[in-house]
Amino acid sequence: MDTRMIDPEQTDEDRYPTLSVEGRRMLEFLREHPHAPIFRNESGNRLSAGDIERVRAFEQETRTAQVGWKPGVPPEWIWSFVEKCVAEVPWYRRYDPLPAAFEDLPVISRADLSRDVAQFVPDTVSVERLVNYRTSGTTGHPLLLASDPVVSASYLAFHKRALRRLGIELQYGRGLVGVVLLGWQRKCFTYVSVTPTMDESGLAKLNLHPDDWRAPEDRASYLEALAPEVIAGDPLSFSVLLDLNVGLQPRALFSTSMALLPGLRERLESRFGCPVLDFYSMNEAGPIAVADPSAGGHVLLQHRLYVEILDPEGKPVRPGERGEVTLTGGFNFCLPLVRYRTGDQASLDLSGREPVLVGLQGRPPVRFRTKAGEWLNNIEVTHVLGKFAIAQYALYQAADGALQMKICGPRGDITEIRKALLALFGPEQALEIVTTGWVDEKWIQYTSDLPGAQP
Amino acid sequence: MDREGPPLESLTRRLAETPEDFLAEPKCGKAGRIIVPAVVGDLLDLLGSDGGRENLGRFAGKDAADQRRLSVTLLFCWLLADASFRGTNPSSEIVLTLLDATAAELAGQAAPAKLLRDPDRREEMVRLALARLGYRPAGETAAQAQDRLSSISSSERARVVQAARAAEERARAVREALARKAAEESADKWTRE
Repeated sequence: MDTRMIDPEQTDEDRYPTLSVEGRRMLEFLREHPHAPIFRNESGNRLSAGDIERVRAFEQETRTAQVGWKPGVPPEWIWSFVEKCVAEVPWYRRYDPLPAAFEDLPVISRADLSRDVAQFVPDTVSVERLVNYRTSGTTGHPLLLASDPVVSASYLAFHKRALRRLGIELQYGRGLVGVVLLGWQRKCFTYVSVTPTMDESGLAKLNLHPDDWRAPEDRASYLEALAPEVIAGDPLSFSVLLDLNVGLQPRALFSTSMALLPGLRERLESRFGCPVLDFYSMNEAGPIAVADPSAGGHVLLQHRLYVEILDPEGKPVRPGERGEVTLTGGFNFCLPLVRYRTGDQASLDLSGREPVLVGLQGRPPVRFRTKAGEWLNNIEVTHVLGKFAIAQYALYQAADGALQMKICGPRGDITEIRKALLALFGPEQALEIVTTGWVDEKWIQYTSDLPGAQP
Repeated sequence: MDREGPPLESLTRRLAETPEDFLAEPKCGKAGRIIVPAVVGDLLDLLGSDGGRENLGRFAGKDAADQRRLSVTLLFCWLLADASFRGTNPSSEIVLTLLDATAAELAGQAAPAKLLRDPDRREEMVRLALARLGYRPAGETAAQAQDRLSSISSSERARVVQAARAAEERARAVREALARKAAEESADKWTRE
């Protein structure tokens, strides 16, 4: 029998290798609170003492590192990174011999990772430690990605860097709850843990869907009992949180996964009295950037991640032009990326102290046609809808030009939304607005069957 | 094979014209007269390779069983003493692997005399030496050089097959590890995508 096929049951020692008495007490508090939800899963930090030191050192490095490069000139570390990839990663071996110019290296896409992610895992990575993350398949390419507990724990380095820009240092440690991660899904991975680099502050991943609770009102009671320093979620779960009668004073909210409209952001900031950090983050590369309206977009956070903006042919666009966000480097040593096309669109502003992704859109662009026959970039629709506190929306243009707008989570301002869209498209525009109530899936924001809609 | 080396023909001709001293019997135990560790040491000096002198013991023949391998080692030494390789500073580890393991593989397939007589075998030796040192013959692309080497060299074919097998085995281990329940449990992150 092949012993590698044996998969022994994980224990708390595997999930929390350095757990102290106080840490265990925190886990018990989170699990056994009278208002606690039904936790569906188990997970943990899986960090050894050596791993914790490594994560701390990485946090220190990230704290002071400069992010940036000169326009069109890849950062100095890039060639040694690519050479290491060619030496250690099956997929990149085919790049040998390397071209003289970085821009002549091939690009890769989600489809390449989806085909066989094992080809992107370096030979030097221990398979014993591998963990996986699955991503949704809205592009038709569901992904199973390789990672390591050290990589997962290193996300916090970038969260802290983003907080520090606002003058916030995380403080909660032993005996307190550092973070609550909120989901809103029919089926959601939920569990509790502690964060060793924060002196074992508590971590709870929760689903706000009522099916996961003994009583719906337990949600507010439990959150108030936890009183976390940070609440992480997405626009859907945050919209549900706004509907709860809950008194919380977090020091920051972290939003990921979906575009956060300014209207919803303002409501959250006003309700909870703290900043909302809207992260541009993906399983393939972790937290890449954080939104900062005063900087004009999303500020890059990773000092070992080179970001290019490419045209549809894979060539770099001119400075300031929009194109596809393409990544090289990253901190996931299980999945080093060389010119990975994300499918997301933005332009890159390198003129300031920090590089900024401007006009970030999470999908390839779609053009909409107005009644007068003018083509509009979807980003103009985004701007018009920004002031509304919508959790999620999807705009579709049919082949005959008619528009259908789906809105998740009614907010009572449908008339205003209609008025704003008709101001953009023309008063004669056919427009149907559908409100769906809460859904637990991520929509594709802009779609069209109109010929010429894909520029 | 990312660097262009000398023309193939100049090296195959050099092999065909191997002088008597390099065809003489290597010293193995009490038999033979050529002290191969000394020849290898001189070659490393000629090439400008750092280190490796402490590992020359493997070229000291103990008995008759070592003789064929060391005879092929001497042929490689003569080949690499060509002016085109002098002072190129190759890694001593790569050079010693060629002179030891690759020589042993070739010696297992044919007698040293046949390696010199047969034009295909001479070409195989030259191509193997160039490939191991990271060169391709002048006028060939890396792909052409690899194709020709694979078609002419049984040991290269075996190496390629073994490397492909090892790569597939590793990919399978990665896929299995990712499919484990423990991997599905993932690990703590403060935000989820």
